[in-house]
Amino acid sequence: MALQLERASGGRSREGSPWTGLWAVVAKEMADHLTSARMRILEALIVLTAGGTVYAAMRSLRDSVSEDRFLLLKLFTTAYEPLPAFAGFLVPLIAIALAFDAINGEFSRRTMSRILAQPIYRDGLLLGKFLAGLCTLALVLTAIWSLIVGMGIIGLGIPPSGEEVARSLWFLLASIFYGGIWLALAMVFSIVFRQPATAALASIAVWLFFTVFWDILAGLLAQSLRPVRFGFAQEILAQAQLEMALARISPNTLYTEIMLPLLHPTVRSIGLLLPSQLQGAVLGAPLPLRQSLLLIWPQFTGLIAVPILLFALGYVLFQRQEIRA
Amino acid sequence: MRRFWSIVTLLTLVLPVLSRPAPVMAQTGQPGPASPELTLSTSYPSQVIGMDESATLTLKLRTATTPQVVRLEMQEIPEGWAATFKGGGQIIQAATVEPDADASVTLKLEPPKDVAAGTYRFVVVARGDKAVARLPIELTIKEKLPPRLSLQTNLPIVQGSRSTTFRFDSTLKNDGDEDLTVNLEADAPEGFLVKFKLSAQEVTSLPLEANQSKTLSIEVRAFADVPAGDYPLQVRARGDGVQATLPLVVRVTGQPDLKVTAPEGRLSGRAYAGRTASLTIIVQNTGSAPAHAVKLSASPPSGWSVEFDPEQVDQIPAGHQAEVTAKIRPADKAVAGDYMVTVTASPEETIAGSKSDFRITVLTSTLWGVVGIVLIALAVGVVALAVLRFGRR
Repeated sequence: MALQLERASGGRSREGSPWTGLWAVVAKEMADHLTSARMRILEALIVLTAGGTVYAAMRSLRDSVSEDRFLLLKLFTTAYEPLPAFAGFLVPLIAIALAFDAINGEFSRRTMSRILAQPIYRDGLLLGKFLAGLCTLALVLTAIWSLIVGMGIIGLGIPPSGEEVARSLWFLLASIFYGGIWLALAMVFSIVFRQPATAALASIAVWLFFTVFWDILAGLLAQSLRPVRFGFAQEILAQAQLEMALARISPNTLYTEIMLPLLHPTVRSIGLLLPSQLQGAVLGAPLPLRQSLLLIWPQFTGLIAVPILLFALGYVLFQRQEIRA
Repeated sequence: MRRFWSIVTLLTLVLPVLSRPAPVMAQTGQPGPASPELTLSTSYPSQVIGMDESATLTLKLRTATTPQVVRLEMQEIPEGWAATFKGGGQIIQAATVEPDADASVTLKLEPPKDVAAGTYRFVVVARGDKAVARLPIELTIKEKLPPRLSLQTNLPIVQGSRSTTFRFDSTLKNDGDEDLTVNLEADAPEGFLVKFKLSAQEVTSLPLEANQSKTLSIEVRAFADVPAGDYPLQVRARGDGVQATLPLVVRVTGQPDLKVTAPEGRLSGRAYAGRTASLTIIVQNTGSAPAHAVKLSASPPSGWSVEFDPEQVDQIPAGHQAEVTAKIRPADKAVAGDYMVTVTASPEETIAGSKSDFRITVLTSTLWGVVGIVLIALAVGVVALAVLRFGRR
């Protein structure tokens, strides 16, 4: 919508709509994705992930007799490490696998000029490839979600409440946007690097950096920037707040912080809580979904905005590239 | 010579003393004019007996000098009465009396079946060889006392609040001569429950021996909705056609009893962090007396403010309620979730007021949600700018 408005004002600078050929690209790319060998592997991963998650969750849920209002949500949270897998590493891996050769693959197959010879703009090609990847990712994650919920209902024998379904759907949405970050990143690398292998390696390097090293780095940075000299409460608090702010640069932290209040309705805060803020609080009372969403909204904003900005970066880089026949 | 005189003097002094007992002994040995030849006596010549009872008297016969056979008979006996002399376990008509030894004879006097109450005279005659002795006997037949019950208490009026157990310590006495089984009953006004307790055990009927008394505890309890006032009640003890009545008064004093609640009993509310929300609170007086100067207070979490409008209710009559608006403002930095706020209403009359916990759900402002949407729109704007700037290629 915004795009169209902008186009209307700056229409004289170019001819034709950037949307031209977009849906053709999306349809074609999705067909490629869904028929590729990659998809076979992904399908196997879907079944394994969903089955493993439900099996592990059921085992521990059957042992406990305590009543829980949010039994369905426990399916996603009560599991053996590293399950639920698609929360941790499956989403980035699928996203990277879908997009690491999006642009440079066309170059190496020497099909780029042929595609652009069609009445398709570069805008449409890039957005189409991104949307196709995102749709495929959404399809995969929705399949896993449906399998977990379906098997969970059969296994537990309890119909889920509307609130539970809404919360798990928001969780699914957050997972798709989280995947979108890695998808956009892999796409940027596929524009920058000519070799698909290099692009894949660069994407995985970034992912590893945020998964393994960033938390350690954030801790070290916070310690050096806000050292605890005298052991005052303010110093400790300031250091913890800085460490948390630094950690939130990592999409992994954002995603974990979103997951927590969504799947655990009793979580009231994802930041630091002073004891005075908890005075008189009825602990263990679940928050309404709206309040949980308000709690995670800053993180969610980041999760939505980062793929868009990464896409904008990729778009600029792609538009400035020279394409020869 | 001098010694002779002293002996004489001694003798004249001693002799009268020595010779003195001699005439006394002579008197007991001989029948004097005051001692009759034959005496007939009994210890208790006048007796009172009951209607169905018979009298048994022990007669003593004594003779002064001569052993003799004494014939016993009744000289005077009212009609229908039967007299029997007994000695040594047998019925006798005569007894042998020896000097210096009392002969003891038992006389049994049996009244006729339909004897009337009154005094009856008898005369027993003992005829010896020479002498005759008479013994008048008087028997009074007393009609039996009618059975009579009395029920009494020292404190017939007991005062207390509605939740008190009103206890009357009373004495139940059987004044009659017959054992009775006493049934206890009470005429209590509606809303009262009366229990009788005998040594901590609840009874409705008890045996009471003649001329015995028992301490009975009468416990009265009021049901919840009894208004203040005096309540007279009657306690009755019945047994064998007689009854005793004890009027008692239970004085129920009024007491305000406040209850803090909300319309439709919903003790919950919602408030945005840092913004004032009103909550309607209802103070009910379920007690039996009006409550005066009811003050409202709250114990919210720190950083919160709770104000009441009005802060004090002047009077809440019994059975009425007052509406108070509470203005609750959660702390600016309050975390979303449920919090407990305790509201207390304390009237002048009681020290401890009545409390209720209100559950306040704190919501956070949606302002940051708008900021997030603006940020996303900015990101989309960046893409649009990129399309505008580089779209020509």
